[in-house]
Amino acid sequence: MKLSQTLQAMAVGASLLVGTMAPARAAEDTVKVGVLHSLSGTMAISETSLRDVLLFAFDEINAKGGVLGKKIEPVVVDGASNWPLFAEKAKQLLEVDKVSVVFGCWTSVSRKSVLPVFEKNNGLLFYPVQYEGEELSKNIFYTAEAVNQQAIPAVDYLLADGRKKFYLIGTDYVYPQTTNLVLLEYLLSKGVPIENIGGGLRKDEAGKVISAGKYTPFGHTDYQQIVAEIKQFAATGDACVINTINGDSNVPFFKEFAASGLTAADCPVVSMSLSEDELRSLPTKDLVGHLGCWAYFMSIDSKENAAFKKNFFDWLKTAKVQGIERTNRVTCSPMVLSYDGVYLWKAAVEKAGSFDVDKVREVLESGKITFDGPNGLNTVEENHHTKKNTYIGETKADGQFKIVEEFKQVYPEPFLKGTFVKE
Amino acid sequence: MMRPYAQRSLLFLAAVAMTFASLVYADESETAARQSAARAILAPESEQATIVQDMAANPSPVLGPIFEAWQRSQVYIYEAPDGARIPFILMPADGSASKAVRIDNGEPLVGPDGAPIVVDETVMKPAETFAKLRRAMRSTMDLLALADPAPAIRQSAILKLGMKQSPEALPILNARLAKEQDKAVKNGILDAIALINLASPDPQLQIDALNQLKKSNSIPSRELVAKMAADETLSPKVRAAASSTLKAIDNHLFWVDFFGTMFRGVSLGSVLLVVALGLAITFGLMGVINMAHGEIMVVGGYATYLVQCVFGSGVALAPFGISVNLPGFGFDPNSGIYQSYFLFALPVAFLSAAAVGILLERGVIQFLYRRPLESLLATWGVSLVMQQLFRLIFGPANAPVYSPAWLLGSFSVGDVIMNYNRVFVIIFAVAIVVGTSLLLAKTPVGLLIRAVMQDRTTAACMGVRTRKVNTLTFAFGSGLAGLAGAFLSQIGNIGPSTGQTYIVDSFMVVVVGGIGNLIGTVISALGIGTVDQILQTSLRNPVIGKVLVLVGIILFLQWKPSGLFATKGRGLEN
Repeated sequence: MKLSQTLQAMAVGASLLVGTMAPARAAEDTVKVGVLHSLSGTMAISETSLRDVLLFAFDEINAKGGVLGKKIEPVVVDGASNWPLFAEKAKQLLEVDKVSVVFGCWTSVSRKSVLPVFEKNNGLLFYPVQYEGEELSKNIFYTAEAVNQQAIPAVDYLLADGRKKFYLIGTDYVYPQTTNLVLLEYLLSKGVPIENIGGGLRKDEAGKVISAGKYTPFGHTDYQQIVAEIKQFAATGDACVINTINGDSNVPFFKEFAASGLTAADCPVVSMSLSEDELRSLPTKDLVGHLGCWAYFMSIDSKENAAFKKNFFDWLKTAKVQGIERTNRVTCSPMVLSYDGVYLWKAAVEKAGSFDVDKVREVLESGKITFDGPNGLNTVEENHHTKKNTYIGETKADGQFKIVEEFKQVYPEPFLKGTFVKE
Repeated sequence: MMRPYAQRSLLFLAAVAMTFASLVYADESETAARQSAARAILAPESEQATIVQDMAANPSPVLGPIFEAWQRSQVYIYEAPDGARIPFILMPADGSASKAVRIDNGEPLVGPDGAPIVVDETVMKPAETFAKLRRAMRSTMDLLALADPAPAIRQSAILKLGMKQSPEALPILNARLAKEQDKAVKNGILDAIALINLASPDPQLQIDALNQLKKSNSIPSRELVAKMAADETLSPKVRAAASSTLKAIDNHLFWVDFFGTMFRGVSLGSVLLVVALGLAITFGLMGVINMAHGEIMVVGGYATYLVQCVFGSGVALAPFGISVNLPGFGFDPNSGIYQSYFLFALPVAFLSAAAVGILLERGVIQFLYRRPLESLLATWGVSLVMQQLFRLIFGPANAPVYSPAWLLGSFSVGDVIMNYNRVFVIIFAVAIVVGTSLLLAKTPVGLLIRAVMQDRTTAACMGVRTRKVNTLTFAFGSGLAGLAGAFLSQIGNIGPSTGQTYIVDSFMVVVVGGIGNLIGTVISALGIGTVDQILQTSLRNPVIGKVLVLVGIILFLQWKPSGLFATKGRGLEN
């Protein structure tokens, strides 16, 4: 009893000591930076990779002297795939830890959850994952692909490939619903008749389309009916599928698709949410020839990409992060766009000569901040999104993509609804 | 728009004519085709598609297998010592080694000394293809497919030709019709001719065409016919014929959808049944609320994954930071023995899940037979521990399990498409239900199980070793769950949290069916499956469909709280 009390007292004393010392050190030669991702729960499987690449970027920058002579001190918090918790953690990062910038969020709903917190505290968030657009906060910079940097180029590619019928399918939440409405408008403007768009339309009383395509809940496992419908839809030829299904449900979908005898030659599926990282846990043989569309593929053949991959995999071998996966790792678009975000922020801070959010934002909005990353050149535009390349790739049996088309330096357009003019 | 189209169709016509010509002058054109194929493979990426496009003018049958191999990444390039680059295909030879065959002349690939060159498939990089190139190959292959020996391939090529609606293809189709022996393909040609004639300026031809399509209930023509029925520029007679054809096709489509939905309902029901049968034993008969049932299923799934790896090239795992290398037999993925891994996986899945079941029963559940609430909490805890164990052993990502080729593909009965894996699950479900009920009803073990489940104390008084029977029954139920996991790996995910997806469905099926009654479980699984599929089709919305099924079940249980078939027990606790 006595001993354990003494030990307890010592432990409290030690933690107090550390607690009081750390900020003093931080104030001198480090700058605090927040990392806000789900490290547990359903999204952990995707988001943990983003934490890894962020920590790698910080170490890389620190090894070269840091930002404005200060070393980056990461504050990693766990959003736990719990959207309200994301807001609380964001509040903690901004109000308690007083970080200069936060890199984080994956799902749109987590971003929507933290947005008011960032606006109230005048924080700064870099968001790296493809999303539906229709948003612009003065406190968020989107290194992610906007719809016109992912879904629209994919449709352009399919139209050029001679596809005339488009089946839309997705998981039932904000990103697929919004993206498909934008795509519907775009396809109609390209002269695709409305009866050639599959999956069904839902209209309100006034006859306005409020939902286009077929939607399944998260974790859906039975795709028989939908694949049978796609097979009938594709019987007339020249059809394709635009897939915004998220997560695990892709496995039963693609297994059913392959089992029903549909092939990538008859009816290619272009998936918006499957990058190299997700393909690690999918039966890739069933996906060969189907398409992906991202701002980055691991197979990009460039000096910058080769160096990035080598340095990241080397770093993984020795990284002092508990429980980090060290082997069988890949790189993917959300990871690289996270990495780009760190360097874009660094460039802006150095140009502004300050960590002050208002000053950094002003510099970022100037349109002159660029970073030549593994995915090519990124430029922050005044609309808080980045101009960058878009690539279309075909899935190979080894889970990598073969790049089949490159759209150079696509200007980001976050607000697309209602902007298409019929040709 | 019109002009390039006309040009293309002219080119196309020439190509079709050449197909038949080429059948006559096979030898000369074969060498030429082989050489241009080799040229295309070696050409820079930017020129490949154009070379292949030009080859459509001279589509020799020899190109079919070459293009197919190229698309499947089975064409390699040999760099000869003298600097020449020779594309080749690996052909399976007698014995285990495959032999390399040159594409440019069909001869075996030999070195300067005349000895055949042995290549290692695993280190060679195949010649790649991409969409545009494959599309170019596709047009050549479509033409070749018209004369393909397999009727199904001929038929789909003929349909594609018909859908293009270019009158230039008519003479070719007529020529083919005269030669065609297969009845289904003959009908396909008639349909294709009718499809082309739909666009004819002659109203009588149009009406004849519509009648033909009406006779054959051609689903692919529906959109074209619907357009004609609504087209006011056409003569009223044609429009009337179009609407009557449309009506016939829609009627046919209704029945196709109806039987298709029924089939899919039965197959979903079979999946539910396979998943719930183990629970019908452990929960239904034994009364143990086993929240870890889903995780025991996943054990079966991972067992299947491991068997697959052992049949292939092995697997490296790192449980608790200790690296374990499981060696594999290294069977060729296309060989029959590898393809049959799933049959070996079934008993392994059953036994490994049963073993886990024994551990669980001996370790936890045997102390909780009279305390159902505590068994609920304890097994829930076990399920969390097991999920974490899966994560530690197999990693957080899903384990990719590939379906054997004999489970892929489908066949159709009167336009109703049936996938092999779905037919398989129905047979599988029937087999395990029949097996289970025979075991329970006809064997001495089954008698003991039934006796103990009806009344533990009396059975014990009669000298039955109830502890052993309990363990055995629980192991059997768990083994059935393992079989379910093995099957699920063929249609979905196997990952640490897969069990969670199915646990609710399993309990739902057993509770609706009536606890302690196998027939009830069968009927409730098939019923829930069919209703789910009917709602999905009629509402065209899987989300609302699923919600309605759950609401329906809640209402049903209000009306019949003990399920479809309530068992009247004789025990005092009832």
